[in-house]
Amino acid sequence: MQPDTATAPVRPAASDEQTVAALRAGDERTFRDLFARSYPVMKRVARTYVASEAVAEEVVQETWMAVVAGIERFEGRSALGTWMFSILTNQAKTHSAREKRAVPFSSVALGNAEEPSVDPDRFQTDDEAWPGHWATPPRPWQKPERRLLSLEARERLKAALAQLPERQRLIVGLRDIDGRSAEEVCQLLGLSQENQRVLLHRGRSRLRAALEEYLDAADT
Amino acid sequence: MDNSRPPHNGHQDREFSVTADEVTCQQFVEMVTDYFEGALEPHTLSQVEEHLVMCDWCVTYVEQMQATIASLRELSEPSAPEPTDSLLAALRAKRGGT
Repeated sequence: MQPDTATAPVRPAASDEQTVAALRAGDERTFRDLFARSYPVMKRVARTYVASEAVAEEVVQETWMAVVAGIERFEGRSALGTWMFSILTNQAKTHSAREKRAVPFSSVALGNAEEPSVDPDRFQTDDEAWPGHWATPPRPWQKPERRLLSLEARERLKAALAQLPERQRLIVGLRDIDGRSAEEVCQLLGLSQENQRVLLHRGRSRLRAALEEYLDAADT
Repeated sequence: MDNSRPPHNGHQDREFSVTADEVTCQQFVEMVTDYFEGALEPHTLSQVEEHLVMCDWCVTYVEQMQATIASLRELSEPSAPEPTDSLLAALRAKRGGT
């Protein structure tokens, strides 16, 4: 399953130079386009630092104020997105200093507490016929398209998402909800491909398990 | 076939260098994301593909993962809010100079 790049901007993205020039000239169309396109990502990242959706939205608007105000000083030594991202995280930290701790991504130790994707009890043990094979296999989700779009299933998924550890929630959000590519996410957050995959894997595994639990219960 | 390799509870080996002749289900569920991302070594990939030919249950697991991902896509937010008035004013001020 390849990352879906169809959710990325459909027009070829303007170069940083073009975008910066347009912003410096006060080009509202370019600005609105960029604002809308980057909003989900910016809000998602901000949300990992602050306590509420509303504050995350505030942080995004404040970030844009700083970007617009500071665009003349932007020297192009980094990518525009990188520069904006650092403003965003600084703005978010200003808020979170008043609310809760912010943990930079780069300091995350991923090796802690290996969590199996599926309860080990679901697999056969060494003294059984097929060690490591399913003991309690997954059951097909009947008519998955219809079932999974049900309001209840959606709410269940959203609840499970809200319960994910922060970093897993962020990666799953960026990759699977916002449709960003692995490369974009790694560059944005300063993660290695492997670390990004680990977080994605753990997050998706928990969500699948949550849906399975819900759907199995709904079947009985 | 005598698979003397104990089932992994997690993956101790990020390269998933599977030295036994087959991938077990318990190993596969830990590899599924790397599989989707195209990050498996060729040898491991072919073992995974062989396993999926033989194991309907792991195929079901793959389908569940795909369905989970598809459902997440459905959660994507509606369009962004309006930029604030002060933001638009700051932008328009850049056009002001004549």
